[in-house]
Amino acid sequence: MIERLSRTIQEERLPAPDYELIAKKLRHIVGDDGVSASGADRLATCRDYWPMGTLWFLEGKAPALPDLVVWPRSTSEVAAVLRLAGEHNIPVTPYGEGSGALGGAVPLQGGIALDMKRMDRVLELDRDNLMVTVEPGLNGARYEEYLNRHGFTGGHFPQSLRCSTVGGWVACRAAGTFSTRYGKIEDMVVALEAVLPDGKVIRGRKLPRTATGPRVDHLFIGSEGTLGVITAITLRIWPYPEKRIYSSYIFENIERALEAIRRLVQAGARPAVVRLYDPAETAHHFPDCEVPAGHVILIYLFEGAAGIVAAEDELAARLAREEGGVAAGPAPVERWLETRFNVSLASKLFRQGAVVDTIEVTTSWSKAAEIYHAMQKALLEVEGTVLATGHYSHVYPEGAALYLTLVGFPPGDKREYYRRLWNAAMDSCLALGGAISHHHGVGLHRGLWMAQEHGQALEALRMIKDAFDPQGIMNPGKLGLGEVKKWPE
Amino acid sequence: MAGVNRKLLLDCALCPNMCRCECPVDKEYGREAVSPSGKARLAHLLLEGHLDWEEDLLEAVSSCLGCRGCRLLCPFPELDLCEELLQARTVERPPGMVLPAAAPYLNNLKKFGSPYGTRPVAQASPQGGSPEVLYFINCTAQANHPRSPQLVLELLEAAGVSYRVMDQYCCGYPAQIWGDMELARQLAEENRDRAAQSGARLLLTDCPECWHTFTARYPQWGCELGLPVVDAATYFLELVQQGRLKITPPEGIGSVTYHDPCIWARVAEMTAAPRELLQHIPGLELKEARPAGRETRCCGGGAMFQLTFPERSAGIARRRLEELPPADAVVTSCPFCRENLQVGGGKVLDLAELLGLAALR
Repeated sequence: MIERLSRTIQEERLPAPDYELIAKKLRHIVGDDGVSASGADRLATCRDYWPMGTLWFLEGKAPALPDLVVWPRSTSEVAAVLRLAGEHNIPVTPYGEGSGALGGAVPLQGGIALDMKRMDRVLELDRDNLMVTVEPGLNGARYEEYLNRHGFTGGHFPQSLRCSTVGGWVACRAAGTFSTRYGKIEDMVVALEAVLPDGKVIRGRKLPRTATGPRVDHLFIGSEGTLGVITAITLRIWPYPEKRIYSSYIFENIERALEAIRRLVQAGARPAVVRLYDPAETAHHFPDCEVPAGHVILIYLFEGAAGIVAAEDELAARLAREEGGVAAGPAPVERWLETRFNVSLASKLFRQGAVVDTIEVTTSWSKAAEIYHAMQKALLEVEGTVLATGHYSHVYPEGAALYLTLVGFPPGDKREYYRRLWNAAMDSCLALGGAISHHHGVGLHRGLWMAQEHGQALEALRMIKDAFDPQGIMNPGKLGLGEVKKWPE
Repeated sequence: MAGVNRKLLLDCALCPNMCRCECPVDKEYGREAVSPSGKARLAHLLLEGHLDWEEDLLEAVSSCLGCRGCRLLCPFPELDLCEELLQARTVERPPGMVLPAAAPYLNNLKKFGSPYGTRPVAQASPQGGSPEVLYFINCTAQANHPRSPQLVLELLEAAGVSYRVMDQYCCGYPAQIWGDMELARQLAEENRDRAAQSGARLLLTDCPECWHTFTARYPQWGCELGLPVVDAATYFLELVQQGRLKITPPEGIGSVTYHDPCIWARVAEMTAAPRELLQHIPGLELKEARPAGRETRCCGGGAMFQLTFPERSAGIARRRLEELPPADAVVTSCPFCRENLQVGGGKVLDLAELLGLAALR
């Protein structure tokens, strides 16, 4: 029986609802095959790619189990499900493809896991105005494939492209690896349709901009399922790029390379991909590129209209030279393109008893090098850490994202190690003025630092949450908005 | 039988499902439990004793078409998840536990030697004597579109090839899928004995699942067939190249798109022969699907899904049809694809039917 699995952070709602009765009512809304109380389905939606969840899985434990899994097929079904949930005061946790890294999809108080994957249609391709409207459960790779088939690109390529949904991208405020050219998901979203917890449906205008007060639909970008459920998304799209140019440069240290990047973006160039790897990641990812020990590699991928990308490439080459960079040709970019979705090492390390995680933060240019050194030092000081490496990506005129990869073989309790690791990371980031997340979001785990990140703004965010969801049924405990009552010991 | 490679299964279970965009089951069901890593996770928990085998869990780990779409993107080169799941539900599950949806077909297999309850009737070409070709008729073709195997025989006759239709049993793969290895081996041994008695030079099959079972599974089951096994596309291509079949433009078919069956494309790596065969048909335009070739997507007919999960199977076919360009007909070279794409709403011909239009007038 699935019930015999230990549930590590489940918070029970009292009095417990009559889920048999609720399942019956739900079947009237979404049909017989739209509701499941089976162990297989409940177990499958009990977690995401949060490493803490992985550690529990390896011990044969579940973080928390939903009582029912529900698959709506339309906006009206979502609205009816949320109304029913409200009537019975049942928590609802939206579920995409479960690639989140912070426990955002863990159904902390049980209730309904609202699996959005059967809402996966392309609703409208607007060729003249370069927009597409899709349902939230559409897989990312299938989304891009559809656009490519019609001569377009969505420009959004997170490492989770193949295992995440468009709705998940919006709900978690995602960023893709081509973001410096195409922007992050908030730059791509034109309009959203969303269902509020009381079943009302809001629809944003499919227009490039409005000045009619704050965009209420855009509040759902990064809301992580706490305000309601996104049911349709209109995104900007681009003609499939006419030309691509790959280039790379080797630098003595990250400081000089960061300067080359800063000057390039501040001059107005927008390479699609900008990635600067520290010495350890340079050696790991590019073993065939003959980079001198301790040096770093910077890769650029330019794409778009031929004339524009040629000019950007020329400028990047000149600035790299001026900062002491040595051209290393297109091979490292080709290597990155081939390997960018390979996360197999994490599986192998977890299987061998390691704790593996990635932490991404945002920094200004002024602190960009300093925050890398400080965070790396802090992480390596946590007993058990064997690797803390980093790279920069997603650059802006104002700063960049720093992405750290961590591997530890802790001598004692793995969960205790995990907590110390994150404390070290977040404290050192905040001490240097960094933002605690660039694109992985908050979920459950990062909620611990939301007060430090936001100050009084967190209270304002909570007021918005309370206004939308006075019963607190939408993804409780996430985004730092709810008290987590049973944090794992 | 090797059993499950638990390390590889766990690698998959710990992956964030990086191949799920290529899993037709995942996309059609929208259920996390039947995503590739979702199935691996449940299988891992079952094998490690954290869960007991129950019907819903067996159904989840059985929800695999065996199409190997996951392998296109898998970062673990040694992992074949389809095979690991097959092993998990044949070798590791409690004896006698049967997926309810499969029970009637498994009973047919036990009773009649075919999941459909009827077996092909042995026939021989007019020439008599030891035949060149021993033709193994696929059970789905026989049950659902028997005109296709009949056309194969007519084409063989037109080309002057001596043949015999095997007095056959099911290849045994469905028995393995549904967890009865003893039955699978019995069927394999029956077929081996009949093949040996035929005196034929080769065994001809138009079914990729049968081909794969004869060439790869029988040796694993300790049962060598003892005859070379040739697929129909390759064999008919040779006949056409040798001038033994006279090809003329088929009436009413100016353009086709070719749907690559997943086992032919990814396991046999047989994607060129059917296309070359199509090129021999005068005036026929081939419109390539996207994706095609090795990157093809399963029609939903793999692993006997048409019988056990018919609605889902048809849904997967409809999704595949959306990826095919408009043409006068969809051509394919697998009885399951032939059946399923038609159920999904397409005008579908298998190679024998197209060749019949082009060579038997």
